[in-house]
Amino acid sequence: MGESLKDKVAIIGIGCTKFGELHEKSLQDLMVEASFAAYADAGIEPDRVEAAWLGTFSPGFGGGKASVTLADALRLYGKPITRVENYCATGTDAFRNACLAVAAGVYDVALVVGAEKLRDRPVRGLQREGTHPYLEAGSTPPGLFALAANRYFHRFGGDRRTLAKVAVKNHHNGALNPKAHFQMEVTEEQVLNAPLIAYPFGLYDCCPTTDGAAAVIICRADLARQFRDDPVYVKGIGLAVETGWPFFDPTFEYVGFPATTAAAAEAYRMAGIRHPAREISVAEVHDCFTWTEIANYEDLGFCRKGEGRYFIEEGRSALTGDLPVNPSGGLKSFGHPIGASGVRMLTEIVLQLRGQAGARQVKNAELGLVHNLGGPGSVACVVILGR
Amino acid sequence: MIGITGYAVYLPRHRIEREKIAAAHGTTPILGGERTAIGVDEDALTLALEAVQALELPECRGIYFASTTAPYLERMNAALLAAACDLPEEVAVADFAHSLRAGTVALAAALDRVAAGGQGPIVVVAADARQAPPESPEEQWFGDGAAALAIGRGAEVLAEVRARASVTDDFLDFVRRDKDERVTSFASRFTLQGYQRIVGRAITQVLQQSGVSPSEIARVILPPLDPKASVRTAVELGFRADQVQETFLERVGMIGCAMPLFLLSAALETARPGDLILLVGYGSGADALLFEVTPALGRSRRRSSIADHLEGGLRFPSYELFRKAREYFRHHDEGPVVSNVFYEKEEARTIRLRGTECGECGLRQFPPTAVCQRCRSTEGLREVKLGRRGVVFTYTVDWLAASPMPPTILAVVDVEGGGRLYLQMTDIEPSAVRIGMPVRMTLRRLGAGGGVYHYYWKCRPEEQQHG
Repeated sequence: MGESLKDKVAIIGIGCTKFGELHEKSLQDLMVEASFAAYADAGIEPDRVEAAWLGTFSPGFGGGKASVTLADALRLYGKPITRVENYCATGTDAFRNACLAVAAGVYDVALVVGAEKLRDRPVRGLQREGTHPYLEAGSTPPGLFALAANRYFHRFGGDRRTLAKVAVKNHHNGALNPKAHFQMEVTEEQVLNAPLIAYPFGLYDCCPTTDGAAAVIICRADLARQFRDDPVYVKGIGLAVETGWPFFDPTFEYVGFPATTAAAAEAYRMAGIRHPAREISVAEVHDCFTWTEIANYEDLGFCRKGEGRYFIEEGRSALTGDLPVNPSGGLKSFGHPIGASGVRMLTEIVLQLRGQAGARQVKNAELGLVHNLGGPGSVACVVILGR
Repeated sequence: MIGITGYAVYLPRHRIEREKIAAAHGTTPILGGERTAIGVDEDALTLALEAVQALELPECRGIYFASTTAPYLERMNAALLAAACDLPEEVAVADFAHSLRAGTVALAAALDRVAAGGQGPIVVVAADARQAPPESPEEQWFGDGAAALAIGRGAEVLAEVRARASVTDDFLDFVRRDKDERVTSFASRFTLQGYQRIVGRAITQVLQQSGVSPSEIARVILPPLDPKASVRTAVELGFRADQVQETFLERVGMIGCAMPLFLLSAALETARPGDLILLVGYGSGADALLFEVTPALGRSRRRSSIADHLEGGLRFPSYELFRKAREYFRHHDEGPVVSNVFYEKEEARTIRLRGTECGECGLRQFPPTAVCQRCRSTEGLREVKLGRRGVVFTYTVDWLAASPMPPTILAVVDVEGGGRLYLQMTDIEPSAVRIGMPVRMTLRRLGAGGGVYHYYWKCRPEEQQHG
């Protein structure tokens, strides 16, 4: 068992663009906006950054998959930059790699940028590259999660009405958030009457395809107070990778994701968390689809397997609940630009811990959790932040 | 003793009422009832494979594939069928084509091979999904389907071949040139007379050879030239109407070169030991084959019957969708482009449907692997042929996936004998899919692109749907 990351790295600056269909902006525009906001928030000049990590899934034209995409946008030359891609856990994994380098003492200050411009692509939905032309023919992201939702209902009960409650909650939270893709409440009836996308998911059970970018500046924990009085500290990080083809695994139960369970166990171990539901004040979890959020409650240990539906039905994850989940509006309402999401979720938890979350501020936020889930439940990253 | 050791048919699940076709053109139907029709993921090759699988043969030494609508004009279609059956390289294969007589020509060739000392069983499979011009009578009375026979020797023979005769006549009746997509018909009273003359010569020869008179024949099988030709022709040749095999035109249609073999299956379903069955194939001449049913027929295991195939079915909601299903992949070459290097490595899993069984922990897994998914053993892993039946573990009905016929149904299937597959589900109303339902694997056309048709396995309901 290796050393814990606890209290070795601090977040001293955050930046986040408005999320949405940003037709007038480019990927580079978004990276510049988020990064310079983070510099300003940390009170540093760009030159203070010693190394950078970029999380993108589908970086498009101009630099493409190489790290020059970030270097050229920020004119950040002569420094080590690494691009990270790890399905929908891209953003948190970029952050994790930066934390490892800073914790190792190799750099004092590092920049993490997550950015995505999904609306510039000519296709509907999210197109994954490199999928198998036969073995995965007909697969879509909602379809892959719907397979699990239907099996879950078969095992534990629940139906589309259960899912609708997640959409209603996250739209409510998003309506309080000026940077969210959607700022509108929806009713349970609206959710249930929306067109079907992949049964049991209707339109409002799916996160949108969104443009956006977010950035954080991290530094060695012992230097943090040189930059600001209210740094947020990294308490633990876990990343776990399971199969990319769970549908071929004869032992896979299809009612949750072992990647999340494993990543959470590692993050909790580092942070010293024994009772996540009691100790965590607020969580941003990967609600790519409404059912995923219910599975996350269980896989993150907020409740037992099969009881996630009661966690939402009883209002425990609402802003006013005992463990508010996705106060930002979540992927559902804030939007999900793949590489940006994880970093964006970190900025939300930082705001909550600093007490700067405005209308959606949760009470007594001491310890926050960020969770990303990528592929068909294949890659999970959990980050614990605290004051 | 040489002859037929097994028989099976396959009809696509889709149907269209002739009323619907006629109404689309503002005319009246030429015949009552409905015709069978391929779905967007089917072609003559996929129909043929279903019929071969329905034979449930423990071994197979050859595949002779007859079709006027085989998907490949250059590339042995029978070789692709042999791979999908996971047969070894010693298998004898041949394509028979270009005539409605191709089915009986292939049958005669298989009988020759076994008679010459070749090892059986040789599977003869005929399948067609012919394209007729819109508004033509043929569009209404053609159907799509397949039939397969196993040819062998010895005590397993259910129907022994007693005599054979063939005549060749380059008579102009139905033609399709290399550049044509659709059949050109010369149907007329003159054409009917030509059919009767040619068929008559073959029948006369086979009866003379065998010394059998028409009244001794239990069943005479005449592929229909038009909806009424079979009975009329048989009667002119000295048979009674009740000796003529029913042709299922009101439920199926004329299924091309598969028709004689399909009707032979129908005749065998009700035949008794000692019955004489006279099978005729017609096209650029005629073949006549006289079979005598043996006592082994009564002992043979009854598999899916034609009645099962006629049961239920899915009706195309419109004429436009019926046409789209037939033509989509002819006109859309948009699928992925794959290299033959890639394809070579893929064949074992995507066509032969092989997986791996771990010698340490026994787990069967797909696709084939070098490291066991459960115990990580690298020792004792062996490639195995996966089962072709299974049970739906979970599923979704997806409206987002790009498809010419949405929605796309995806299913995770627990395979009989072990292993788990992730497949599209076909031939079912989306609202009828259930966790726990039994399914069969069926090779289907996923798309077209890069100069090839892309075939991969889907699953379909095990029980044909009723109602």
